[in-house]
Amino acid sequence: MPITIQPYRVEHEPAVAAFNRRLAAAGADDNLVFFTRSTPRWLPKTEESAVYNEFFVALDGEMVRGGYALKTQNFLLPDGSTRSIGYYHHVLSEGIVNKAHAATGGLLLRDAMLRSPLLYCLGMGGYDNPLPKMLIGLGWSHCPVPFYFRIVHPSRFLREMQTLRTSSARRLLMNLAAATGSGWAAWKTYQAIRSLKSPRIAPSTMQVVGGFGDDVDTLWLQARSAYSFTAVRDAYTLRLFYPATDPHFTRLTVNRGGNLLGWAVVGERRKDAKYGSMRVGSILDCWALPGEEPAVVRSATEVLEQQGFDLILSNQSHQFWRRAFENSGYLSAESNFIFAASKNLSKLLNPFDETKLRMHFTRADGDGLPRNF
Amino acid sequence: MTSPIFEQVRTIASDLFTVPTDRITGDSSAETIETWDSIQHLNLVLALEEKFGFQLSTDEIEQMQTIGQIAALVERKLQTAS
Repeated sequence: MPITIQPYRVEHEPAVAAFNRRLAAAGADDNLVFFTRSTPRWLPKTEESAVYNEFFVALDGEMVRGGYALKTQNFLLPDGSTRSIGYYHHVLSEGIVNKAHAATGGLLLRDAMLRSPLLYCLGMGGYDNPLPKMLIGLGWSHCPVPFYFRIVHPSRFLREMQTLRTSSARRLLMNLAAATGSGWAAWKTYQAIRSLKSPRIAPSTMQVVGGFGDDVDTLWLQARSAYSFTAVRDAYTLRLFYPATDPHFTRLTVNRGGNLLGWAVVGERRKDAKYGSMRVGSILDCWALPGEEPAVVRSATEVLEQQGFDLILSNQSHQFWRRAFENSGYLSAESNFIFAASKNLSKLLNPFDETKLRMHFTRADGDGLPRNF
Repeated sequence: MTSPIFEQVRTIASDLFTVPTDRITGDSSAETIETWDSIQHLNLVLALEEKFGFQLSTDEIEQMQTIGQIAALVERKLQTAS
């Protein structure tokens, strides 16, 4: 039967469940599960919504052979216009376990490109995975979104960071550094030297808020000229993404003399074996007046440190934010959080090598799954 | 097959698969052209749609097995459109 790609409806749910069972039976990763419900829990489409998720499935007769999600959201573009852009995510094809369906992945992507010619992908787990390889093969523009981390409790980091404890010799050395306090001393010395070299940050006040007020609209308008390409971060969008009722997030604003300088959203990342038993916090999203990024990073870091996290992570693409994180004692490491733009979108981002320096992508631009915060 | 459409399809395929035009025949397929993988197949679909200004269905994409079949499909699509 020829493959047809259709919006995911309630009547497809049993076939999606069967698809998920076939992937699991063939040994696919536990995370590779397509949405069991046809209506998105996060950002469902309504008549009024400017930001929404939709799901699509690849049907082979009665069977589902794959599916994808498409988040539609308004973005500010380099020419100053605002346009609706699609985010292609949660792509799953039976081709990953059965070569007979190898073409399904390409058909899903093409369907998304037809529905949303201005399309981007984000994350994807690194350049070694099939999706980024396919996008590069199709001539999409791409770059990694730099990854930053800050060690709050060096001893716990040394004992728990599983990706570094890869041999018995390394484990011995790291345990020794943790037990003697030399790891703590080295890290604190590094931070002290770093802070001496960093520009001074003017005093500001930080406030944890239950929800964002209308003043973030003014801030959005004041700061947006410093950004070449970014999702609209106005009050409507922030309330939709970080509703006051959601306990996963801490929302904070940074002020000076009664004026709003910036805001950030922080939260806890879901447990991940590579971090052992560490509590890992994330600076998920942020926005600031140009030049005030360091004050926001400092405040967001303080909040997460007060909340007892052992390690703080963030992904940031804009050069101002990158500098702010680097000057705040964050280290960078290889990023597996990849941004890629379709050819049609890339035309609007030309020259991409210049645009990418001032585009603003964070974990908040991802798929909304708490494990990815 | 040496129609103008066939020649245009062959030129597109030659550029995408980085194979000299004279090595591409009507019987050329993913089995005979090493660089014709699933990504390049999708690139071929997109290039044909852009060049000839039509849209291929998933059914038609799955039928695109050889260069000859693809040229015939393009001829049919253009005739239907005119």
